[in-house]
Amino acid sequence: MSQNSEEKRQVKTLERERLDLGRLVKVGEAGLRIVGDSVRRTDDVLKATGKLKYAADYPQEGFLHGKILRSPYPHALIRSIDVSKARELPGVVCALTGGDVPGRNGFGAILPDQPVICQDKVRYIGDGVALVAAESERIAQKALELIRVEYEELPAVFDPRDALAEGAPKIHETGNQISLDKLRKGDVEAGFAQADVILERTYQVPFLEHAYMEPDCCWAIPQPDGTMMVEGPMQAPFAVRRNVAPVLGVPINMVRARQIHMGGGFGGKEDSPIDLCCRAAVLAKHTGRPVRISLEREEVTLQTCKRHPMIMELKVGVTKDGKLTAFKSTVYDEQGAYASLGPKIPPAGGSHVHAMVMSPGPYEIENCWVDAYLCYTNHPYGGAMRGFGAPQVHIAHEQMMDELAAELGMDPVDIRRKNAFKLGSKTATSQVLDQSVGLRETLDACEERFGWSQRSDSAGWVDAAKTKRRGVGVAMGWYRTSIGTGGDACGANVHVHEDGSVILYSGITEMGQGAFTVLPQICAEALGVELEDVRLVKPDTDLVPESGPTVGSRSTTLMGNAIILACRQVRESLDQKAAEMLGVEPERLVFCGRKVFDRDNPDGKALEFRQVAAAAMASGMRLIGQGWWAPPKASLDPETGQGSPYFVYTYSTHMAEVEVDVQTGEVTVTDYVAAFDVGKAINPKALEGQIEGGVAMGLGYALMEKVVLENGMPQNMSLQNYLIPTMLDMPDLKPLVLEQTNQHGPYGAKGIGEMPNIPATPAVINAVANACGGRVRSLPANPEAVFWAIRELGGPPQD
Amino acid sequence: MELIFKLNGEEVRLSQVPGEESLLTLLRERLGLTGTKEGCGVGECGACSVLLDGKVVNSCLTAAWQAAGREVTTIEGLAGDEDLHPVQRAFVEAGAVQCGFCTPGMILAAKSLLDQNPDPDEEVIKNALAGNLCRCTGYHDIIRAVRRAGKLLRGETS
Repeated sequence: MSQNSEEKRQVKTLERERLDLGRLVKVGEAGLRIVGDSVRRTDDVLKATGKLKYAADYPQEGFLHGKILRSPYPHALIRSIDVSKARELPGVVCALTGGDVPGRNGFGAILPDQPVICQDKVRYIGDGVALVAAESERIAQKALELIRVEYEELPAVFDPRDALAEGAPKIHETGNQISLDKLRKGDVEAGFAQADVILERTYQVPFLEHAYMEPDCCWAIPQPDGTMMVEGPMQAPFAVRRNVAPVLGVPINMVRARQIHMGGGFGGKEDSPIDLCCRAAVLAKHTGRPVRISLEREEVTLQTCKRHPMIMELKVGVTKDGKLTAFKSTVYDEQGAYASLGPKIPPAGGSHVHAMVMSPGPYEIENCWVDAYLCYTNHPYGGAMRGFGAPQVHIAHEQMMDELAAELGMDPVDIRRKNAFKLGSKTATSQVLDQSVGLRETLDACEERFGWSQRSDSAGWVDAAKTKRRGVGVAMGWYRTSIGTGGDACGANVHVHEDGSVILYSGITEMGQGAFTVLPQICAEALGVELEDVRLVKPDTDLVPESGPTVGSRSTTLMGNAIILACRQVRESLDQKAAEMLGVEPERLVFCGRKVFDRDNPDGKALEFRQVAAAAMASGMRLIGQGWWAPPKASLDPETGQGSPYFVYTYSTHMAEVEVDVQTGEVTVTDYVAAFDVGKAINPKALEGQIEGGVAMGLGYALMEKVVLENGMPQNMSLQNYLIPTMLDMPDLKPLVLEQTNQHGPYGAKGIGEMPNIPATPAVINAVANACGGRVRSLPANPEAVFWAIRELGGPPQD
Repeated sequence: MELIFKLNGEEVRLSQVPGEESLLTLLRERLGLTGTKEGCGVGECGACSVLLDGKVVNSCLTAAWQAAGREVTTIEGLAGDEDLHPVQRAFVEAGAVQCGFCTPGMILAAKSLLDQNPDPDEEVIKNALAGNLCRCTGYHDIIRAVRRAGKLLRGETS
């Protein structure tokens, strides 16, 4: 821990950039009271006292318990299913097979290609072939054992390259290749011709488990009017509703989805509640009773989505002074059995296209060429996980930057500085970065705080006995705010009451990131009231406007803007009324700290906010505002991958110091600095929490995490053998927060949820290579992999 | 046979508790004390940590009958009606809570540590709490919270 941990709460605001962009949500920057303050979270007392209820804590009286019979085969035809014995078991209320789904027998965040109940074939171990609802979980479990299924096994495919080969077993009727996405900028061969050094390397990353602490639990409750209410920990209630309705064969307005506080999500609870709510709703429809499905930890691993594995073949050219001239990459992005969040939502939505766009890194490169294959296999499926395709490609390009630097005899920091984005840079999609580009500033800040040059000079043996070597690593990164689809928008409603109290309706969910604190902060600031005056209505599709999913580091920025617009509508009434009451022009009014006064006469007469609200209400004026905000239009040419896919990016540099035991391959991360350009920190403390947690997750990706699969079967299904970082694995961590205002953001903010996770993994891997010479190109760099990487070199360096 | 033990300072008498029932199930399902969480069911995550005679245990691996004649403390037993326990207060003030699912177990593990060692250094804290997993915070602020709680309990800060 930093000895001066208070010191780290320093937010540095960088010089304001110009720019005359349209569609700005302009707000007064001066005199912010609540935005920018590390106010305490609104719900942490409830959490610290154990009073906050998670889904599993809700009473279960009157509920039936749903269970899923899962396929034991990765790929097989279903010849027959007999559920008659299960139905006869006392306490079983229904046992359903594929034909019993009332509407569309398919769900999915993007394509409905995953059967609610498989009817003719199964595509991964964990696929659901029958559903049971019973009076207790134990009876339901027993009933599963009474179901007889006859399978005809099919050859299975476990490598994306095999899946693409001619004659490969076909997993879906549409073929194994979901898409081949291309990025073409400049002339990559001409770029290689200009290069003095060209390296070709292949990097590989495995499936990862989100390992949120709270296992999934969802339920469906049929309502007297025929509505189906589904509840559970969910990141995307609107996506749940969009799936449950067609599965039941009813219009969207007959499904109500409500979020229950999540015990962690990290992208995983975008997908899994769709699965569980569809299945619970089908059982509830058949029985007419509330049905709850709660997963054990092992079931979570077996059934729910993971981070996509990728194989990334890179070829990169650089001049002898370190300028990148050409970037070429072929990406095999393994989707697994179902499409989930992989496929494209035009122009630039879906994790696969996002990975392609990010794959050359935050660097100016004239010539880029990427072929990115997304394909089905008979493995569990890849979904969203903190970074949505970006962590994988950063692991490739950031290792490549170090390998190029080593080849050139250059410092890894220098080669990055030579190529890093700055204001006005053109990305690999030829997007001009015309605002809020603080990447180089993060490198400078990180370098200074970490003491890069001194520390890299002192890399080498730690002890006289030569058992441990120390090394340092750097990695840079970028991450979008928003999701790049045509439909990326957020709505918010704000109701002001005659006593000055406020209700904020928002569909953005809370999973621990702090949305339920940060969004009311923005609302209170925009209205000029105190934080405690604002009560947030929790996400409920019957009450709150459509807001899209809580993903893509979009919540603060997109919802923040919607809230400001909603507040502005209410302010029109309040401005008019206060102007009458004070006898000044509305433009001169200031709303601040529950007071309303004349800007030009701040010591003169001040009105109470509630006085103005009451007077406006008594005059029949509108005190309900609805804000709606969509980011600037996204574009990406489907043939060339050229365009402006995301409207703003967050930037970051990480530096890690590690010690490697050269005899065992064990790695200890000993120090860590990470700097971010976040636009504006609405709540610096909550933001630091995102940084610290994201880095920890990236460190796990680097050193220990991997879902081990054998013939499609996960071998490490519990937290006993799927290892995530413990307190002992974490180094001292110093977050540095820089603000390069985002002209499109509320008070200048842009996203932070995912960025910290992304450069952390390659920073650690690069430090390991710097320490011991061994480079692990297929993750994780666990002791065994590091041991062999050192042996491949013929032993550690002797200097 | 009756199972008798002290729970959060009050005597509890229960009949017909099956031998295989875990303390976690007893607390959550029989007594409705849902502040104790189940994250893994195999004693790996620490979300179900409670105190048995002041020592932290995984309640998912502890048979309910092991509590017989002993004192069990859960998160519900820590705070008064008005005030947070100093360890809870420190967690809130240090920003050590994100999704909150690990928080009750983490707070109890921290309390157990501080009861035995009022001024632990960072290494001691890390070793004592390594059995409690958190996926959100990266642990940094939890360590700060434990140190802060130590100061509060020692009366060095208010």
